[in-house]
Amino acid sequence: MHAQAAAQALPMTGTPDARALLAAGQLAEQATGGDLDAFEELVRRMQRRVYGFAYQHLRDLDEAHDLTQEIFVKLYRNLARYDAERPFEPWFWKLAANTSINYRRKRVPMPTDQSADQATTGSESGFPAHDPALIDALAQLDPAYRLPILLHYYADLPLDQVAQSLSVTVPAIKSRLHRARALLRNSLAESEEAGQ
Amino acid sequence: MTALACARVRVLLEPYVDGDLAQSDPEAARAVRDHLVTCSDCRHQHQQAVSVPFRMKALRSPAPPASLVVGVMSSIAPQPRTSRAAWGLLVPEALLGAFILWYVSGLDGLTAIASGAWSNLQGLAFWGSGTAPLPNVPVADVLLLGAFITLTGIAAYHLSLLAKLDQSATPHFTEHRRA
Repeated sequence: MHAQAAAQALPMTGTPDARALLAAGQLAEQATGGDLDAFEELVRRMQRRVYGFAYQHLRDLDEAHDLTQEIFVKLYRNLARYDAERPFEPWFWKLAANTSINYRRKRVPMPTDQSADQATTGSESGFPAHDPALIDALAQLDPAYRLPILLHYYADLPLDQVAQSLSVTVPAIKSRLHRARALLRNSLAESEEAGQ
Repeated sequence: MTALACARVRVLLEPYVDGDLAQSDPEAARAVRDHLVTCSDCRHQHQQAVSVPFRMKALRSPAPPASLVVGVMSSIAPQPRTSRAAWGLLVPEALLGAFILWYVSGLDGLTAIASGAWSNLQGLAFWGSGTAPLPNVPVADVLLLGAFITLTGIAAYHLSLLAKLDQSATPHFTEHRRA
């Protein structure tokens, strides 16, 4: 009886069903107020995209796990800085991009790594690649080009949000994306020639 | 309009594919289109340029492990009770300190200890410089001084342990790594 009354007294946004309907920004706002359930829902909702982004950036399952965890922990610690009046996604992806850049900087190359920037490809990473040529080409890209490519085409952020996330102008991000795609195209052409 | 060289066309392919070139420089866009009609190599590059965004969007990634959410939530969880309870290690020091304070009868006793310790140190300094004989320090003073030094050492050691415990309560990202 008491439990039922208590459940009825809860605000609608506190119930799991109602929480599932909330936008990411609203969940972040609730989490800022100390609602850990709202934060967990936010993590569950974003984990696939963030983990995929981390994996495509690092091409290593363990490191993708570490980076994803680091991004979410940093999100939690920085929630107080989130302005609920502004869209959540650009703010979040800016934090994710900065965390990824710092993660790569402090990353210790393994003895088997030929280069810290040369990511593993295909099945070496523990996950079969369905487009190994593109994976190879992406791995060869400088992180300065790889990040906007991943944010725009993989995390599906519109150009203005990619620009906000990386603190550059929209024309600058457009130009960087064009350059990145041209580099990918050249790598793909080279791998095609090598395969023939 | 002069015909474009292949190298120039390839630089313009991405803005051409996105439609940006047609907006910023319609004449150049027309020249690229004309070039593509006659050059099979650039046409192939154009096909690649068109396909890259679609291939990027079609990239697959592994599903996040089930442990991810649990790991994140445990990393941000409030400090465990055991860590806070560890501060109870300081209780013996506090009790011992309180006992010593009570034994030396509060502020008067402390003043007496301080003045006694100062005169003892002065005596030792004079003895060290060869201007006075070795002072006769009471055994109780030596024991009390020893107790204070021991207490300070134990308290410092416990504080360092507690500081390490607090640091270990912060997220540890490598614990999920494979062996």
